[in-house]
Parts: sequence; structure tokens; C-alpha cells
Amino acid sequence: MSLARLKGGVIYDPANGVDGEQRDIYIRDGRIVDQANGESVAPERDFDASGMVVMAGGIDLHSHIGGGKTNLSRLLLPEDHRNDARAVPDKPDEGRYMRMPSCGTCAPGTLATGYRYAEMGYTAAFEPAMIASNARHTHLEMGDTPIIDHGAYVMMGNDELFLQMLAAQEDFERVRDYVGWTVNASKALGVKVVNPGGISAFKFNQRSLDIDEAHVHYGITPRDVLRTLTRALTELRVPHPLHVHASNLGVPGNIASTIATMDAAEGLPIHLTHIQFHSYGTGGARKFSSGARAIADAVNARPNVTIDVGQIIFGQTVTASGDTMMQFRNAPLARPRKWILGDIECDGGCGVLPFRYREQSFVNALQWIIGLEIFLLVDDPWRVSMTTDHPNGGPFTSYPHLIRLLMDKSFRDEQLDTLHADARTASALGEITREFSLYDIAIITRAGPARLLGLADRGHLGAGAAADIAVYRDDENRERMFTSPAYVFKDGELIAKDGTLLKTPTGGIHYVQPDYDRAIEKRVRDFTEANLAGKFENVAIDDDEICACCNGGSLLPVACLAAGGNE
Amino acid sequence: MSDSPIPAPAQTAWTCPFCPLLCDDITLEHTGDARLAATNTACPRLAQSLARYSAQDGARQPTIDGRNTGLASALSRAGEILSRARRPLFGGLATDVAGARALYELAALSGAVLDHLHGDALAAATLALQDRGALFTTLSEVRSRADLIVVFACEPSRRYPRFYERVQTAQRQTDIVFVACDVDEAAGAHAHSMLASADPFDTLALWSALIAGREPETQSAHELQALTERIHAAHYTAFIYEPTALPGPHAALAIEAIHRIVKSVNRTVRAGALALTGDDGALSVNQAVTWLSGFPLRTRVAYGLPLDHDPHRYGTHALLDRQEIDALVWISSFGPEPIPAALADDVPAIVLGHPATALDARNAPTVFIPVATPGVDSEAHLFRVDTSVVAPLTAARDAGLPTVASIARELARAWRAT
Repeated sequence: MSLARLKGGVIYDPANGVDGEQRDIYIRDGRIVDQANGESVAPERDFDASGMVVMAGGIDLHSHIGGGKTNLSRLLLPEDHRNDARAVPDKPDEGRYMRMPSCGTCAPGTLATGYRYAEMGYTAAFEPAMIASNARHTHLEMGDTPIIDHGAYVMMGNDELFLQMLAAQEDFERVRDYVGWTVNASKALGVKVVNPGGISAFKFNQRSLDIDEAHVHYGITPRDVLRTLTRALTELRVPHPLHVHASNLGVPGNIASTIATMDAAEGLPIHLTHIQFHSYGTGGARKFSSGARAIADAVNARPNVTIDVGQIIFGQTVTASGDTMMQFRNAPLARPRKWILGDIECDGGCGVLPFRYREQSFVNALQWIIGLEIFLLVDDPWRVSMTTDHPNGGPFTSYPHLIRLLMDKSFRDEQLDTLHADARTASALGEITREFSLYDIAIITRAGPARLLGLADRGHLGAGAAADIAVYRDDENRERMFTSPAYVFKDGELIAKDGTLLKTPTGGIHYVQPDYDRAIEKRVRDFTEANLAGKFENVAIDDDEICACCNGGSLLPVACLAAGGNE
Repeated sequence: MSDSPIPAPAQTAWTCPFCPLLCDDITLEHTGDARLAATNTACPRLAQSLARYSAQDGARQPTIDGRNTGLASALSRAGEILSRARRPLFGGLATDVAGARALYELAALSGAVLDHLHGDALAAATLALQDRGALFTTLSEVRSRADLIVVFACEPSRRYPRFYERVQTAQRQTDIVFVACDVDEAAGAHAHSMLASADPFDTLALWSALIAGREPETQSAHELQALTERIHAAHYTAFIYEPTALPGPHAALAIEAIHRIVKSVNRTVRAGALALTGDDGALSVNQAVTWLSGFPLRTRVAYGLPLDHDPHRYGTHALLDRQEIDALVWISSFGPEPIPAALADDVPAIVLGHPATALDARNAPTVFIPVATPGVDSEAHLFRVDTSVVAPLTAARDAGLPTVASIARELARAWRAT
């Protein structure tokens, strides 16, 4: 491929410490290169970015884009698709056959998902809740999500085999090897635990499970699960820390168990996801208050902890979660009044509830406030990733709006003024003056997530990086600015220009292949034959098969951490 | 050449594509006359399906209006038919995930409506889900957890002969109660039936009333009350039903009632429902079309137009009866399913069919292309009955038949080239 140049842009590349420097970027064979080496740039490959803001492509490390519960969300909500104003894109320059038909607002089809991420300048998104037994389905859907790269975290800690091994106090090494086997077999990039032990406990008719409470059948506690999984991932040298959806989601007063969850890692890396839903106090007349300050202080004091926020956005959405225990509790809140719950394969579960976040609801208004407070009160942006927990807090297409809320104090205050009055008075948000800089935004939307996932050649603009690049026209209205970049490059190809798609290549899949002792396979085989309806031989997905699932997209194995350091 | 016999391939278990249980423990052998036979199961559905294959399958040629032709000319004629159609129906859709993916693009190019051979059962399940949701369980949960199975108004072994094998183990005893139907003889010793001749809708209405706390004073109500008490005493109850066995045309209401009862039961104990459905790739195609487009089957898909989902209007029989389509693409890769009798004789048809397909002479242009069966002639991905597991299937032979996906891709490529 010939040389391309991006000329005169202002670069925000936090991974390389570049904060708003004007410089040219050269691209060859899909990669960023240091210089032209005397080679000339063809005019059609020379892009004028003068005065524009240049960042690496956005990376969403927590977005429910594929798999069983995502498709159930689509099935449940035909109205979400019928009401999609963008169902037929009005983009005359694209040509009729650029976008295959696909629609939906909070639960879009995979095709629409890929198109919309890409036109916003995002070049990768990661499905955080892949059930191992549903892994093929998840990968098939992500393979049909065009343009963006993808990957998934496999859910563990509620699968019966793990809990049985823990309950029987089997050697830690065997549990660790089982984690390694599962990551490999499901072609995962990391491991997530959802309500540790709680999804399983619900199958045994237990209705709540606090962090030090015993699972009614296995006797183990969520803390045991967390301690074992964080240690296992550290020993397996998986770059992404254990991705934790903590106990007690949505329960007033859950800050205590959220902080206890951080400590259950005993100093090892741990990532608490959509922490907004886990930052609730019990203060005030309504016994529901912001715990953002306590949570932010706890994060600030614990360098092993990273978080993403799970900001809520007002409007209709759908919550799709593996947390059957909490979703069943919340089922009466479903709007419209319909919901799906499932127990899945001695492995996990799923709950799907449509939900409408309202400005005039005290609770919803406070949830919105708490999310923003957490963004603004955690000191180190490298440890915070921007998410709405798509679609649970709101659709990913709200990101430009969220960026404006973070960057623009007066805009934030205007929004705050429209909320439920009691929520406003209970909030400290109005007093927080911090505004995110473009550099901060580049950290929480690309550099930080890339580092946290171990993606060495993504999320930055240094030589050798994949040329996933978003170029924005500088605009005081940051929402408008981040909605449709002037240029989006994926692996060096210009794929979108001012919101118009030019190409729809197939994205690649990121996954890790940790080393483990294969002797564990016998244990998994015995369990499978005794308990499950399918055969052990059909569980693991090999390279050829993952290629077919992913529509021939690139296989992008992510290196495990080097021995002797965990970053 | 050596006279020594060809060494038998290593015995690995084969996965059967002919019903959504997708049994993956089957030993398949090639018999002397180059046919396929399963040696470790007596499943009649499998035996019947395998009997439709022969050594001549690879030699079956495509036809145009009943006359043999080559693949290239059949594709070219099919392309002409599609390009002239203004409102084609892609029906049957008995294929795998890869077939659904490729057909989706072709449908978008030609502005087609998508419906499945089992579209009525699928639509009933979809409507119930869209209106109220569901509380479901999966095969392994039933197998390892359920100590009580309630089978509602159906006979699972009739269409799914190995159902009980898949959800029961010798290690645990599971009681099975048949409600509003007789005991399925395949169900084993710990089975009994209640209200066998009762109307399914009446039974569900009565049961719903009981669950809602009312106390109807009838014999049926007492029996259902006793069953509800058993459910409350059980660790985990699995409710089994078959959408196709429920009385039409309002099976959706019965499905909704079943899930409403299961949801109510879960306020105090645990239970889940499992629908026996999804034959001939129905779940696989419905899932794939849903994730691609956002809408399930019975959707019209066309570049540049809004997707149009209508579970009533876009049913195959409704469309044919009202003569709303001007071409049919009929996909039947698991068995030689005939094109619907209601198809008017002057509507062109393209049949991507099982090699044993027999086609009657028609007036309208008709193209037949024999295709690979997923899991017999090609690798495949299919959704299992509980929709939570996608099974990887391998080919059992090499007859040289093209896959539905490859035909659809070729037609789409040709379309884009013009």
C-alpha cells in the first residue's frame, strides 16, 4: 500500500505524552510510520487536517454488542427498531449499497452498530459478558459487526464447575488452569465476573448475596470468587484485569460491598465496571444518595483498581445483564412492562429489561449525577474508561453528548437544572468545576482502554501503531464535534468522511491465549459428560472456526504480559 | 494401485442436523452402497433423514424448467428471475447461519420478504416474546437441575425422539407430569398425566387464575392446585411445550400464558420454560436475521428502504393466498421440502433444494439448484433448541454440492456486477 499523509493536524496522543502538538502523520501498509523516507505522497492519499484534532480511533471496552442477551433485547423491542429515525440513512454521497439495512436505537442490529461506531470515530468495541456456552453465538454476531475490531470477556465465577472446584478446595493451580482453558476455548480477551456466585445462587433460589455471604449450595462467598479469579488472571498473565460487575447492583447502600470488592483483589489488578450502578448510599429522606465521593476516594487510594463508569443517559433503553438475581428483583421496573430472564447451561444466565431513565425521577436523576461525579472526582483519568454500559445506561451513540457533559461545565449545569429538584439539592455536582481537556478525553476513550486491554498497537499514534485514526473538526460544541469526524481511518484506510461511510471492511478479533496445564481438560471433560447436554469435544473454538465466525476478519492475538511484571 | 481397503476414518462423534436437539454423540458409518447410517442410535427421525441421501446426489444437476443444465446457466437464469421480481419472497429458509448471512445480502439487493418453513410457530413465539417477554431455561439446566418436568399439551418424542435422553441422566430421578395431554410413551417410568383431555387454553386460564390467588372450585382447579404445590416443593421445575402443538391461530396467547405462570412461580421458587422448536434451521435463521437487521423473520429487507417487520402480513401463506409476491426463492437444505402448493403456477421460482427434491412441471420459469445439507455435505453452525448454544457441525461426506451460502453469494456478486 502506498504512503498516506495526514497533514497539519493537532495531535492528542496521551500514550506517547503528546498533548496538542501540530504535526504530520504518515501511514504505510495500515500502520503509522515515523516519516516519509523520501517517498512521495499521492495526492489522493494526502489528507489536509489543518486545525483539526487528531486522536487514535476510539475504543469502547464495555459495550453489549453481541450474543444471546443482545439478540434477545432486539427480539423484545420491535418498537425500538420501528422508532429508529436513522433506519434509512439520508446520506446521498454513500451510494445505495454502502449500508446494509439494519436499525434500532438502544438495541441496534450488528450492521448498524458497526456503521455507527465507525462514523463516530470508534474503531473497536468489546463485548463484556460472553457466556462460555454462548461463545460461538457471540463471535458470530461480532463478526457481523462491520468495520470495528472486537473481542469479548468470558464470564466465569458462576459456572458450576468453577464453584464446585472452589467449594471442594481443589488446588488453586487447577482452578487457574481451568480459567486458562476457558479463556482459550472461548477465544476471549479477558474474564468477567458478574455478581460473583450470585447468578448460580439464584438458580438455587437464593435471592441476594452480599460479598461475605455464603452461597446457599456451595458455601463459598463472592469474596472467595474474586480472590481466586484475580489471582488466576495475574498468574496467567492476562493483560486485562478481572472485569467485575460487583454484587448488589442498584441496591441503595451498595458502596460498602463495592469497596469490599476492590479489596477482595488483595492488591492485584481489578477492574470494576459500570461502577455508577454500585455507588449508592442510603442518606437523605428517600434513603438513596450519592456514594460517588466515597467511591472516588476509594479508587484514588487503590492504584490496583480501574473502573469504567456506566453513565446513564435519559431516555428509553434496555438493560441486558448476566445478573439474573438482580434483574429478577428489578423486573417490576421494566418499561414497557415486559422482560426476559433465563438460566443458561450451568454456566450463567441473562436478564433483559427495557427501561426508561427520566429526568423527573429522583432516582434516575441521581444516577445521572453520580456517574458524572465519579468521572470528575477520580484523579487519574488513566484508571477511568468512558462507558454507558451500552445499552444498559444508554446507547453508545450518546458518547458525543457525554463528552460534552464532561468538557463543558456550563452545559453540564444547564442539564442539571432540568432534573428533579430534590436530586439537584442532594448533589455536589454543581460545585465541581473540573472540565475534561481533549487530552483527558483521549485518555478515557482510547489510550486508557487500549492500555487496560493490553492492545500494544492500538489507542495511540506512535510509529508502529495500527492506523486507526479519528480526525475531528474543532468545534466549541463538543457534542457536534465528536458526532461526525472529518476523517476516520481503519487500518490505514479512509472509511468515513464527515459521517459518510466510504468503506465497510470486516473488523478483526482481539483475544489472548494464556499458557496453562492441559491436564485440566480431563476435569472439564468429566464435568461436561456428567452434567451437560453437549459433548466436551464441541466446546472449544479453534482458529479456523473463529475465522468463519468472524467473517474472515483478522485474528489479532494479544500478547500476555511478560514474566516478572504485571505492568 | 494397492488393493488394500481404505482405512476407516477415526471414529469421532458426529452432530446430527436434522432436529434442533443437535445430538452430538452419533457414530456415523458409510454403508456399502455409499449411504450414511447411524450405528449407535435408533432415532427414527435421523434414520428417515439419512435415507434420503444416496451416492447419486453429487451427480444431480441443476435444472431450468425441468431440463438439466450446468450450475452457471442455472445461476444466470436465477439472477434474471430475481432481477425482474419487484416483490420476491425468500421462503423455506431451511439453512444454517452462513446461509442466512449470505441470503440477507441477496434479500436486501432484491427487496425480498423473509419467512421460514416453520414461520407460523416462530411467529407465535416471537409475538409472545415481543408482548410480554419470557422466562426460559436450557437443556443442561434441565438435565442437571430439574427434579420436576411439566410437559404441557404436547408429545415431545413425536418430533424430537431423543428429547428425554438429552434432559435426563441415570444418576437422578426426575418426575414428569403431562398436563393437557397423555403421557408420552417414551417418557419412562416416572411419568403421569393429568387433565389429559382438557382444552389447553381453558387449562392455562384456570391455572393463571389459581396462580393469581383466586380459588376456582372445580375438579380441574384442585388438580392444578396440587401440581402447583408440587412445583413449590421442587428445587427446579422445567416447563416444556411445543409451539407447533399448541392450537392455532392464537398459539401466541398460550405461550404468553405459560411464561406468565412460570414468571409467577419464580416469585418464590425456581422454574424455567423450554420451547421445543426451531426445526430446519428456524432458530438459526431467525437469530441471524435478528442480529443483522434488528428485526426477526417476516421482515421485508431492501437497500434504501426502512425494514418492514410484520408477523401477520409477511407469513408465507398470507402472501401466497393474496398473490402478493412475484417470485419465490425456496430454500430447503435439510430435506426435500416441496414448494408450497399455494404458489400460483405463473409465479417464477428458484429452488435451492436437497438433492432428492422432486419438482412438478410448472408454467412459470423454475430453476432448481441442488445444494449441500449443512452438517452432511458442509461444515455448519446451527442454533440448538434452547437458542443458547450454537453447535459446530462437520461434513459427513463430500458430494461436491454447493452450499446455500455460496449460491447466494454468487447471485449477490452477479447482481452487484450489473
